[in-house]
Amino acid sequence: MRRFFGGLLLVITTVLIYVLDKPMGALPAIGRLIDPVNGCWANAEPVNKDFSADQKFPGIKHEATVWIDGQMVPHIHAATDHDVYFIEGYIHAYFRLWQMDMQTRAAAGRVSEVVGQKAFEFDRKQRRKGMGFAAENSLKAMEADPRTKQMMDAYTEGVNNYISSLCYRSYPLEYKLMGFAPEQWTNLKSALLLKYMADDLTGATDDIALTYLRDVLAPKDFQLLFPDKIAGSSPAIPKGTVFDKPSLTVPAVPTDTTIFPHYKTTDFGEQKEEGKGSNNWAISGARTVSGAAILCNDPHLGLNLPSLWYAIQLQVPGMNVYGVSLPGTPGIVIGFNDSLSWGFTNNYRDVKDFYEIKPVEGNKNKYWLSGKQMDFSTRVEHITIKGKPEFVDTIKYTIHGPVYFDEHYATKDGLRRMLAICWMAYKPTNEMLCIYNLNRAKNYNQFVDAILNFQCPAQNMAYADRQGNIALWGQGQFVNKWKDQGKYVMDGSDTATLWKELIPMRENPHVLNPQQGYVCSANQSSTDSTYPYYYNGTFRELRAWRINQVLSGMQKASLDDMFRLQNETYSILAANTVPVMLKALSVKLSSDGNKYIEQLKSWDYRLDKESTIATFYQIWWSCLYRDLWSGAFGKVPDQLWPTTERTMQLLQDTAFGNRSPEVNKSYKEAYDSVKKLEATIGTDWYKVKNTTVAHLTKLPAFSYDHLKIGGWGNAVNAVKSDHGPSWRMVVQMGKEIEAYGVYPGGQSGNPGSKHYADLLQNWVDGKYYRLLFLPNSDNQGNKSIKYTWKVK
Amino acid sequence: MKFILQIILIAILSAAVEFILPWWSVAVVAFIVTLVMGGKGGRGFLAGFLGVGLCWLVVALCHDVANEHILSARMAVLFKLPNYGMFMVVTVFIGGLIGGLAGWAGALLKPVKGR
Repeated sequence: MRRFFGGLLLVITTVLIYVLDKPMGALPAIGRLIDPVNGCWANAEPVNKDFSADQKFPGIKHEATVWIDGQMVPHIHAATDHDVYFIEGYIHAYFRLWQMDMQTRAAAGRVSEVVGQKAFEFDRKQRRKGMGFAAENSLKAMEADPRTKQMMDAYTEGVNNYISSLCYRSYPLEYKLMGFAPEQWTNLKSALLLKYMADDLTGATDDIALTYLRDVLAPKDFQLLFPDKIAGSSPAIPKGTVFDKPSLTVPAVPTDTTIFPHYKTTDFGEQKEEGKGSNNWAISGARTVSGAAILCNDPHLGLNLPSLWYAIQLQVPGMNVYGVSLPGTPGIVIGFNDSLSWGFTNNYRDVKDFYEIKPVEGNKNKYWLSGKQMDFSTRVEHITIKGKPEFVDTIKYTIHGPVYFDEHYATKDGLRRMLAICWMAYKPTNEMLCIYNLNRAKNYNQFVDAILNFQCPAQNMAYADRQGNIALWGQGQFVNKWKDQGKYVMDGSDTATLWKELIPMRENPHVLNPQQGYVCSANQSSTDSTYPYYYNGTFRELRAWRINQVLSGMQKASLDDMFRLQNETYSILAANTVPVMLKALSVKLSSDGNKYIEQLKSWDYRLDKESTIATFYQIWWSCLYRDLWSGAFGKVPDQLWPTTERTMQLLQDTAFGNRSPEVNKSYKEAYDSVKKLEATIGTDWYKVKNTTVAHLTKLPAFSYDHLKIGGWGNAVNAVKSDHGPSWRMVVQMGKEIEAYGVYPGGQSGNPGSKHYADLLQNWVDGKYYRLLFLPNSDNQGNKSIKYTWKVK
Repeated sequence: MKFILQIILIAILSAAVEFILPWWSVAVVAFIVTLVMGGKGGRGFLAGFLGVGLCWLVVALCHDVANEHILSARMAVLFKLPNYGMFMVVTVFIGGLIGGLAGWAGALLKPVKGR
């Protein structure tokens, strides 16, 4: 009996262990996870952990030192390029490995491998888009250049050196939660990450929706509502800048009438908001208090934890550079060195075009091109899905690029035609070489030489140096297009629609030391209409108008002025629309309604965190925008409606007619919404907009929501619900470089570390850290250094 | 005295084997210790429960105190527990339960002399 009972207990124990050691559904293996020795408790980093260490890295050729400061920013001092990028790779992995792994999986469409079926649609989309194809092409270019090959090899070596030191106990927490293990890093993963950025910044275009609208609207209305260039734009390259004579002739528009296909709503699946924006500006020394040029940049991207950026300083003989890096790639993307500083904002020139493919009937392997039958090439994508059999997708490739939609694949709201994508991101471009040279550039000419290697994603690159020069380039590789080429879906069987010559990159729009004494870009149109080449794009103007307004009135700019402007919540949209909305409003107001209207009249148009009138306005505006356009454009693919700035201009224009019906209707809707909010969460602006910095898994336990911060997409401080300034930087390029920065997160990716989000509150409050820019030297006596790694 | 010794032995051995073997090796430790040292069945359970529980409590506490509860508080939210203390209790209880059951089985299966 005793033995039987003992045996039974043994079986029960074994079963219990078995159950606790197996992941169940979305739940991780509980036993493994909560084990204090090896499980999640092992990721509880002591708050006073001493990060100082003697590190021995096989592969490091000379002694090197890493100083870590109070914000946990590492300052790497090494003797060779190889060593500095090796150590950067090691450090990225040390603090951010899981994030690097997940983001490259996302780029490659390999998320289902670790999370199962729920990521399948996402993965398939990434594969159809040709993300792997794009990364492999660029990798070839990166590995063909000895500088970038060495840079990437050393970086990969460093990452793998860290990975090989790991066991389950030392895995980042998220691996334990999700039940998978780190895999070896490769150069391809770094290339994938750059393509992930390219997709994030240039992947969304209006081509398909515009093709539809062009047929639906009368030409006059189409131009009125969706103008190529918005009137009154303050372009990134200031008006009046004289452009060099173009070396290429802009091609004539093909005369055949079939170059653009025609679509009806029935050609689309079922139909069901604003892009990313950023600001950068530079002020010449003539217009600053200190007499030194100041560069400011705040790239607006998805707000996530671990943060997109990782701050770091890199030193080798001939290079001393500080800034933010992308964990997963070597070098520094945005920052400054001992000679100059630079910042990026997205340049929305269209570099992704769509071609309708005419397949040869009866032959699945061929398509038509100018009367000839062409063979599709194919690329077989194997999508591994955790817990399910592998999915194999054979994707056809044309001379334009991969076929995105075809008979095997359609998204719910997508076009039901065979459609291929031609995208600058597919070209074998080497953006890494730009980073390599930019980090070492000593003057304006070297800066220009460096950025000529940055082809995709197109960026507005602002520049300021210690001689007081400022500049701005609308940088990227562009195609010499005929008017409207690529604005709409094109006939893929007609060679007249093909991309032909590339515009020499030195002819990209740029300006050095303009008369106005400053440059600024905030995703607005690149140039005025005198720029000789044709381009189109999804430009945004509101923030550019405001920044120009402020900077043009500023004669002696101080660093404080710059901090204030980056954090400004003034809505130029509200300033322009509130008067017209109030004028058109003709309903009888309740006493409460009257209160709101009175507040609107005396409002300073600031979307401040605790403002309740800001909430009222934002809701009213969004209802009005919807009421104006949903009737006419509710069924337009991709929900392409006239832009906010165009809507604002139309409302101000009496020719647009009496808009009282929509203004009245939206007022009532806004009134009801606000009443409901007052009865529940309240109407403080920050409560309603709910800015959230979410962990990449979206787990609330690792995320921060309802951050007490103002602003919105129509203010310079463009903090939306989950997008916003991902790195605020202000650099004064004087005799001594004075740099400030902050980003919404922390240097550590470990949710169990006190450095996981320790910079977040200062970002919310609009406060900055003085960045510790160490001189290029073996020895440092700076008191801000907290820990030291001796590397051998 | 033997009972106390059993608890301490299980706790120390558990901590040691876990550095090389997976988490469930604590059950093997509890089983073998009670199998060798014996004791009444119910006492075997207690020895296993307290031994492994003690080991896990001490290790978790060391991590948690040095970490000022940052991680345990997040894990508590993740598992919808009211506070970090409850996450600690759940951890120790699960470890204890595994150790207890294994210890109980070991005590019962110990070969009885003279039979």
